[in-house]
Amino acid sequence: MTRILAPSRFAALAALCVLAVTGVAHGAPAEDAPQFVLMPNPESPFVTFRIWIRAGSANDPAGQEGLAQLTGSLIGRGGTRALAYEAILQRLFPMAAGYSVSVDREMTVLEGTVHRDYRDAFYALIRDALTAPAFDPGDFERLRTDQANYLENNLRYSDDEELGKAVLHWAAFQGTSYAHPEAGLVRSVKALTLDDVKAFHATWYRRGNIVVGLAGAFGDDLVERLKADLAALPAGAAPAFTPPAPTKKTRGLRVFIVEKETRATAISFGHPIAVTRADDDFYRLMIPNSWLGEHRTSSSHLYQVMREARGMNYGDYSYIEWFAGSQWNEIPPQNHARHRQMFEVWIRPVMNANRHFALRQAMRELTMLVDNGMMPETLELTRNFLLNFSHHYATTESARLGYAIDDRFYGLPESHLARIQERVKAATLEEVNAALRRDIDPANMDIVFVTNDAAGLKAALVGDAPSPIHYDAPTPESILAEDRIIQAYSLKIAPDAIRVIPVAEVFER
Amino acid sequence: MKHAVVLGLLLALAATAAAGSVLPYAHRTEVLPNGLTCILVKLDNPDLVAYITIVRTGSRDEVEPGHTGFAHFFEHMMFRGTPTCSAEEYNRIHTEMGADDNAFTGEDLTCYHLIFSKLYLEQVVATEADRFMHLAYAEPAFQKEALAVLGEYNKDCVSPWFQMEEKFLATAFQAHTYRHTVMGFLKDVEDMPNQYAYSRQFFDRFYRPNNCVVLVVGDIDYDATLALLRKYYADWQPGTYKPTYPAEPPQTAERTCHVDYAGASLPMLWIGYQAPAFDPANKDFAALTLLARLAFGETSSIYRELVLERRTVESIEGNLESHRDPHLFTISGRVKRAEDLPAVQARIEQAIAEAVAQPVDPERLAAMKSNLKYDFLMRLDSTGGTAFRLIRIIQLTGGVEALDTWYATLDGVTAADIQDVARKYLVRERRTVGTLTSAGVEP
Repeated sequence: MTRILAPSRFAALAALCVLAVTGVAHGAPAEDAPQFVLMPNPESPFVTFRIWIRAGSANDPAGQEGLAQLTGSLIGRGGTRALAYEAILQRLFPMAAGYSVSVDREMTVLEGTVHRDYRDAFYALIRDALTAPAFDPGDFERLRTDQANYLENNLRYSDDEELGKAVLHWAAFQGTSYAHPEAGLVRSVKALTLDDVKAFHATWYRRGNIVVGLAGAFGDDLVERLKADLAALPAGAAPAFTPPAPTKKTRGLRVFIVEKETRATAISFGHPIAVTRADDDFYRLMIPNSWLGEHRTSSSHLYQVMREARGMNYGDYSYIEWFAGSQWNEIPPQNHARHRQMFEVWIRPVMNANRHFALRQAMRELTMLVDNGMMPETLELTRNFLLNFSHHYATTESARLGYAIDDRFYGLPESHLARIQERVKAATLEEVNAALRRDIDPANMDIVFVTNDAAGLKAALVGDAPSPIHYDAPTPESILAEDRIIQAYSLKIAPDAIRVIPVAEVFER
Repeated sequence: MKHAVVLGLLLALAATAAAGSVLPYAHRTEVLPNGLTCILVKLDNPDLVAYITIVRTGSRDEVEPGHTGFAHFFEHMMFRGTPTCSAEEYNRIHTEMGADDNAFTGEDLTCYHLIFSKLYLEQVVATEADRFMHLAYAEPAFQKEALAVLGEYNKDCVSPWFQMEEKFLATAFQAHTYRHTVMGFLKDVEDMPNQYAYSRQFFDRFYRPNNCVVLVVGDIDYDATLALLRKYYADWQPGTYKPTYPAEPPQTAERTCHVDYAGASLPMLWIGYQAPAFDPANKDFAALTLLARLAFGETSSIYRELVLERRTVESIEGNLESHRDPHLFTISGRVKRAEDLPAVQARIEQAIAEAVAQPVDPERLAAMKSNLKYDFLMRLDSTGGTAFRLIRIIQLTGGVEALDTWYATLDGVTAADIQDVARKYLVRERRTVGTLTSAGVEP
């Protein structure tokens, strides 16, 4: 095979994008004025809106967990004072367009794309959704019930991997505003009232708390109309919000076993990290994280040693920031930015008999990476991968606008995509390995299993006896030799560090 | 009026394409002497190229007992290397170029896709041609991959939607291979490690140029790209194997099935009617496509009544499955209380009776056609988006030319045509009714 060197043209394109974003961005932060992020492209057939409200589930009042999500749902899937939701669906139908609201821990984003010919008709709908929601009691009942059903049925039972990840974040951020999922807690959601929603909207959906992103063929006149139309929202800024303090990493290994009947065991583990895109270490950690477990990529190390060499499961990945919708997205989605992030490892379901072995292997691999650092040749290969692969992150106008808004969230002076090109390229082996030791601590992890026979798993973890892997196929001696080391790899988990949670109690209150 | 607006828009978008073509980009098709169809679509988006190989084989082709799920399993094996490019080397090459690459399998296709910088085009053509012509793997690697497939089954099977689909298809189809899911029956998935010899036969049968289409979309030069395709795929020998697909006999009586779901789930109701195979010129198929959305979509009266007003149903939708052989017209919903299942089914039957009795309002019909066309165009928003938008028509027809026929057929559908297909296809003896409730809850 001939090897072709990585192109430099990508970098030039990325830089162009950055100029387009920052060159026309409107408005300095002001108490009473919405900010704008504008990416005009008069040639585009599309107009994209991403309207960011600086609020999320971390702003849910205690006892009202799920309120930000329900408020967002009423805007995205409810009527306005001008039109019932049914009439909105009828208006959107010939456009084959729609708008939706996504709620994350700290961000709510009203997003929609329409063909330029329908710009004005679509704008009228999305404007009213933001500034004049009806908060109709029927819409409220429908969406609150949907949200409770999601928690009680879908999250608990239909996808053990999503459940495991949600419980991991709850475990890692216990006692903080980040602990509960955006959908909330079952008891809290069922107790929410329409007045709660109105109060949340009045507090957070304020002119000074909104960033309006526009991309494509929107036209300058639309910006002026938006400035005038947003006057319908309450004046002023929202209350100050402080993200959870970075957690002290001194708690050892803690295990949470969600018990349910399963054919296979989903495993997630990790800990909060005090690193985001705003930090130099983020770009240093990108490289070893990609090597260890790049999302849905077969070349990463965990995937190779757990799936490819041992046939243990469908895949194994790692993350240094929240990756929303990881079950179905291959490229990271935008507008899920958070000031507190986690390092986490996602082990896809393994045979129940191999669950202890799988944890031992993943923990051992992570420990070896942190202790030994990366090798020069793997660092170079992974660096080249990231420099090229990150160009797939923003191939549409909507995605580029999403990144520009996330850049604003993190307060970046230049775009994240440009920073990847500069900082991943510049990172040295020493810097990368120092960041690994500084930020990732295999001895202090929260570990979540979704599995059956919790008592058996607890006894095995506490006993720390060898846990041989079970194979259904012949395996080379080189692998078997390493298996003998892995199966005895001691994790030293204390009995009182293990908590069993029946699945029907997860996120109940 | 709305319809006229749409046609004007389409013409504007189609400025660079052949007059009247739905696809607003110029494209070129060439069939190589060995039967490999090459379709090239040139875009203005800089740098990126999407390279997609569509094998027109999927779970439909699993006609032999004991081998359900094999097309999907084989998709996994295609990443296991060749005599000149090991799996590790293939991985390293793609890592180096930062390609966004993966694959998926459906009833009628297995699809391999990569998106990368155009600077790597020749390298991609070379490595893709190599693995499609010379795939080689040893039995231990095969057996390990079979376990990864079982892992995929294990992660999916907890879902109530997965369990419902598995049982529903096995009930609605008695003879045709559409009766099993793409994943296959569990007993066959568990037996995959023992099927090494069969896997070689599978490759020999189906991975042949006359059963494949290569689609290249993006920042390309037509002549240079075609030259590469001719060079690297020239020695690929065509095959002769043709499966005999068991014909599904016409259904003469209603069938039912039920899933007792071990976890907690909202009750589900699925109704499927025997429907025709996709044919871009078949007015019945086009009319059923429109009927599914008009009668059961978000703007239907049943959606308004059950989801928005009475709120007894969480979701409901209609869909005509597009496949190479006859499949199903489905209506599926999640109901909030099991005791409402009979009433919801009765309301669905009423909606069908209304579709037979009353012609659809002309303005709604025009809005529907507008929706379908804009939906196509709205997804042509990037190199990858454009390429993925073309996969289905290629899988069904072997090319992109049928797009124009299909949209012309849709345009020609009248309100009377929709009444006719509702009367002809949506009848009790052609249907299967499936329900799912949490174990212990009476349906």
